[in-house]
Amino acid sequence: MSILINDSTRVLVQGITGRIGSIQTHWMLAYGTKVVAGVTPGKGGTTVEGVPVFDSIEEAVSKTGANASIFFIPAAFVLDAFLKTVDAGVKLIVMIPEHIPVHDVMKMRAYALEKGVFALGPTTPGILVPEKGKMGIMPASLFAPGRVGIISRSGTLSYEFAGILSECGVGQSAVVGMGADPVVLTNLVDILQLFEEDSDTDGVIIVGEVGGDQEEKAAQFIQKKMTKPVAAYIAGRNSPEGKQMGHAGAIVRGSTGTAAVKEEALLGAGVEVLESPIHAARWAKKHHLR
Amino acid sequence: MRLHEFEAMDIFETMGIPVPRRGVAETVEEALCVSGKIGYPVIAKTQVLVGGRGLAGGIKMASSPEELREISGTLLGSEIKGLPVRKILVAEKAEVTKEFYVGITVDGYSGKPVVVASIEGGIHIEKTARSGPEKIASVQIDPFQSFDPNQARALLERFRLDENLLVAWAEVIATLYHTFIRYEAQIAEINPLVVLPNKDLLAVDAVLELDNSALSRIKHPLPDRMERIENPLERKGREIGVTYVDLGGDIGLISSGAGLGMASIDMIGEKMKPANFLETGGGITEQLLYKCMELIMMKRNLQGILINIYGGINPIQEGAKGVVRYIKEHDVKIPIVAKALGNHQEETWEIFRSAGVHVVTEPATEKAVERLYELVGKV
Repeated sequence: MSILINDSTRVLVQGITGRIGSIQTHWMLAYGTKVVAGVTPGKGGTTVEGVPVFDSIEEAVSKTGANASIFFIPAAFVLDAFLKTVDAGVKLIVMIPEHIPVHDVMKMRAYALEKGVFALGPTTPGILVPEKGKMGIMPASLFAPGRVGIISRSGTLSYEFAGILSECGVGQSAVVGMGADPVVLTNLVDILQLFEEDSDTDGVIIVGEVGGDQEEKAAQFIQKKMTKPVAAYIAGRNSPEGKQMGHAGAIVRGSTGTAAVKEEALLGAGVEVLESPIHAARWAKKHHLR
Repeated sequence: MRLHEFEAMDIFETMGIPVPRRGVAETVEEALCVSGKIGYPVIAKTQVLVGGRGLAGGIKMASSPEELREISGTLLGSEIKGLPVRKILVAEKAEVTKEFYVGITVDGYSGKPVVVASIEGGIHIEKTARSGPEKIASVQIDPFQSFDPNQARALLERFRLDENLLVAWAEVIATLYHTFIRYEAQIAEINPLVVLPNKDLLAVDAVLELDNSALSRIKHPLPDRMERIENPLERKGREIGVTYVDLGGDIGLISSGAGLGMASIDMIGEKMKPANFLETGGGITEQLLYKCMELIMMKRNLQGILINIYGGINPIQEGAKGVVRYIKEHDVKIPIVAKALGNHQEETWEIFRSAGVHVVTEPATEKAVERLYELVGKV
């Protein structure tokens, strides 16, 4: 049983009529994802890629039985739509947009936790489960079915790791983008737990980066709870202090959030720290992961 | 966006937090004019956006006009940790009997605002947290709820202060929280909050870091964000809508994601010296990558360029056209290696090759960096 996306996942695309929303709907359908509805206020009654578009989230959910939703709408409208999506009963939310105000993200996170909704992002590429589907923007050609789980703060680096593994015959059970903002809707530890409990996953790669303390907290969890082998890579060894390296959460403050601090914590928890992404292949072979 | 101390102090004052009498000076004469109004002694503080100003010699006291003339003359135009000092804050020197700490930050892990108070201010709060945790009180706030003086008072109970001080401090904390919410701050901090001989409180320092993603919806006047980016290339990056960080070396980089960009400069840094970090995010167009080429080529000493892009949300074939147009128009001779994978990859490779760009089709960035290293070595 794969994590998060399975045969009963029915996806609602918010912002489906936009430039990015419509292209990504095309790619998600092409990958076999069940996209059942779209929402764009004012465009109800039309279709995109054969998918019916509704004016409201509530209507889309009640008419199509959508139980998961992916967002491609401007940051300014996200909070309101997020709360409505949770209220409509959707249980899995993928928040693609960048630049969502962090005070909004704090509210979204609190609301999702309270209502038992699993949400990823913001600034995430989404989630891809080979042969099941994808709720996200990943280029599917780089991924292959297998038994390694990947959790990444960076979208592009998750593609890099999947590509490197696939090229040498190691597939993925699921690739999850946790997002790159200072506050994320679901923490690294909670995603690790899903992989630990997943019977289709034999090992996990964490793709971290400088800033925050997600990897440090993960190290504590791994030491206490993980039985499966874990490898980690931390991007940003050469990132200067105090500079925001593209992602809102990727900022070294003084001596906190550095790659060195994270690597040390992970090493201490028995995690194999990878010098660079290319070493993921060797790690997978060593543990006989496929 | 981190505000200067004087900007944060103005905001704190508007919100009702007690702050010293003060003024900002860009010249010695202006400094003397400010101190003429508030009287001596005064503190002169350099206004640069970097921590540890005091230890770096950026904060000095003056007891007379002569002294202030000398100090401000030295400070203005100097550099603190590599940043030019254009302004100093001249403020009344408070008579300190005690120093407190108040800070509000976004806790990344719990995803909530956290309020931290300490009866030991003026130094590193992290150090106090380790050496004397009983001197610190903190509380996480539900992001949907407010935080009023009564709650602040409950937070401070453990310090057993006298009633007047307790009430005054709780009031400052609640007001700072209100400021944190109104300005959508990531950090709001007073370190130290001093107790004057008459038991009044005074915020003699002010830190306010705002959320770049929220600036456009804050309804109160804010200082210009562009103006505070010191590096002209980084400012140009902001103008065209990409993140550019100057790293001083001679190998240029264009990447389509932050993580990929950081990993790329880590790998370039193994054998060569990265000139810059540049990431486009999800907004690649023909025009944008043309402008990115223009931007990285502003460094005249570039020896080679790595282009590392994925076609997930980005139309990389469009981006490749922009790069190629720049190469042809400017007759670029330095070696360029491109790794471009994902949707439309074959088309993208063809476009790159048409302008002599070396295309690497393997997924590992290391291979592309190795190729670039070989090519740069040959030049």
